[in-house]
Amino acid sequence: MEKYKISDSQLVSLYKNGNEEAFEQLLTRHKSRVFTTIYLIVKDNYVAEDLLQETFVKVVRTIKEGRYNEEGKFLPWLMRIAHNMAIDHFRKEKRYPTIVMEDGSHVFNTLEFSEDSIESKQVKQDTHSKLRELIQELPESQKEVLMMRHYMEMSFQEIAETTGVSINTALGRMRYALINLRKKMKQYNIAYDQNIYPR
Amino acid sequence: MIKTFTQDDVVRYVYQETSELETKEIRKALLCDAKLEEMYKDILSMKAQLDKARKMPSDRTVNNILNYSKSLKLSSSK
Repeated sequence: MEKYKISDSQLVSLYKNGNEEAFEQLLTRHKSRVFTTIYLIVKDNYVAEDLLQETFVKVVRTIKEGRYNEEGKFLPWLMRIAHNMAIDHFRKEKRYPTIVMEDGSHVFNTLEFSEDSIESKQVKQDTHSKLRELIQELPESQKEVLMMRHYMEMSFQEIAETTGVSINTALGRMRYALINLRKKMKQYNIAYDQNIYPR
Repeated sequence: MIKTFTQDDVVRYVYQETSELETKEIRKALLCDAKLEEMYKDILSMKAQLDKARKMPSDRTVNNILNYSKSLKLSSSK
């Protein structure tokens, strides 16, 4: 997990006191995590952009109106709003899994490839785009756990409680999700990162 | 004696949900169990890929959010 110099709760406090730069930092810090989570649920780039906006509008209003509960942590609260909005939208639209092709190179991913060639950039973008497609192909129960653990940063215990399964089931689903993704990447002959950095 | 660990334990280890003691023991086990180590490397690699596969929203959407925040002048009730 990334380490931040100023904590989220400190930034929220600054923002409550009118510091807009603090909000900008919170948005910069979490936008890709929130956006990816929403996208994995709604499977549509444009809808995901709208829902990201709605999520942060709710965040802004709640904090500025003094209704933010400071006892909780900011990120889980933010992710809950985003997740609920995406699920509500999914249910309202009665959408079923379809893979929408991505458009616009600027929305592919969060990485900067300043040292890469154009060809290398394209390969990486294609790899990340394909990986997101492969996540969509996972069984729903595996995708859910993967999204909650990896992008929403919920613990396995929290996932177990939220989804109504045992912690061992949640762990097993995560393991299968990761193994399945790796197999699929090999199957599609997608280059994956061979650089291992033990923690 | 080196404790035996399951693949699920390795998943917890990769996601930093093992206790300090478990972490030490898993590290030892990984040195002695080639199969477990291979699985660990695979999962670690996938985790890195998932990080890189994050999507970014457009600048337009980000600016809309920032502008909305700046335009909303509400006084906190606290």
